[in-house]
Amino acid sequence: MPIVVDGTRLPARDSLVGAVEDAWDRLRQPGTWWSGPERLAVAEEVRRAHACALCRQRKAALSPYAIAGSHDKAAALPVEAIEAIHRLATDAGRITERWVREICDGPLGEERYVEIVALVAIATALDTFDRALGQPMRPLPATITGEPSRSRPRGARRDLAWVATLAPEAVSAGDPNPYPVHGDKNIHRAVSLVPQAVIDFFDLDVELYLRDHEIRDFAHEHRAITHRQIELIAGRASALNRCYY
Amino acid sequence: MPHGALLIAFVEAVLGDGEEAVACARAEVRRQLGDAAFVDACATIASFNAVVKIADGTGIPLEDWKAERTADLRAELGLDAYRR
Repeated sequence: MPIVVDGTRLPARDSLVGAVEDAWDRLRQPGTWWSGPERLAVAEEVRRAHACALCRQRKAALSPYAIAGSHDKAAALPVEAIEAIHRLATDAGRITERWVREICDGPLGEERYVEIVALVAIATALDTFDRALGQPMRPLPATITGEPSRSRPRGARRDLAWVATLAPEAVSAGDPNPYPVHGDKNIHRAVSLVPQAVIDFFDLDVELYLRDHEIRDFAHEHRAITHRQIELIAGRASALNRCYY
Repeated sequence: MPHGALLIAFVEAVLGDGEEAVACARAEVRRQLGDAAFVDACATIASFNAVVKIADGTGIPLEDWKAERTADLRAELGLDAYRR
């Protein structure tokens, strides 16, 4: 789907347009721990979270943990999943290790939480792109039936982050391996408990931002804006999200 | 930096709640930078509004080499206060 704004088809890299379409298509397919309909329900909840009264109260509060209540929701997902989605979507910068551990040690489980983290990020990226461009919010696509693969990497350990991650050297033959293509920084390891989620997010992100080897290739400009302009935008967006990393 | 203030305003508008502000900033970015740069600016905003959730949702630490190189900068800007 080309990028058309105000009746004008905008110049956009084919690889960017393709990555966006791929990302939408993968959202509706069965994942590792969530089915296609469930994954789209996560995307729907990300949208709903921004109008959620409880989320707005928590965002305005000195501490989000001081405000109890129920989220405004539509999706038929477990209540713990709704809490995770809404918090990640609206106030991720104030998420604590304690909150993550409580979510992961509860009925939702660590694997399903980690896949939710990736899905929230992907849905946020897609919707933010459309908002920035001035395109209307895209209707969610039809789902694809099928069962999740439900495969946890044997080598995953909780030795880096608040959730288990899969170190590059611990990838097994049966695991999807995102590291050779996208890199092995901590940001690539973050959701590696669900290796396909790393691939899904970064296949999109390298077209929105830059590929790992392009980030410090200051001898070349890989976009229609400069490295400095890219990092200015990145820094401001990160600061507004209160992201430490 | 060319168009730095405009790009900052665009980021703030996109990540804010005001529709009029986004529309104004959008039009100005397109007019001053051109449509190809506009698309890439939109894409960068989308990337960083998203990737922060992966970092914050999992609690990944800063790599040692980044921490060393940015120690003075982080102290000066008070960025370590963002850590939980």
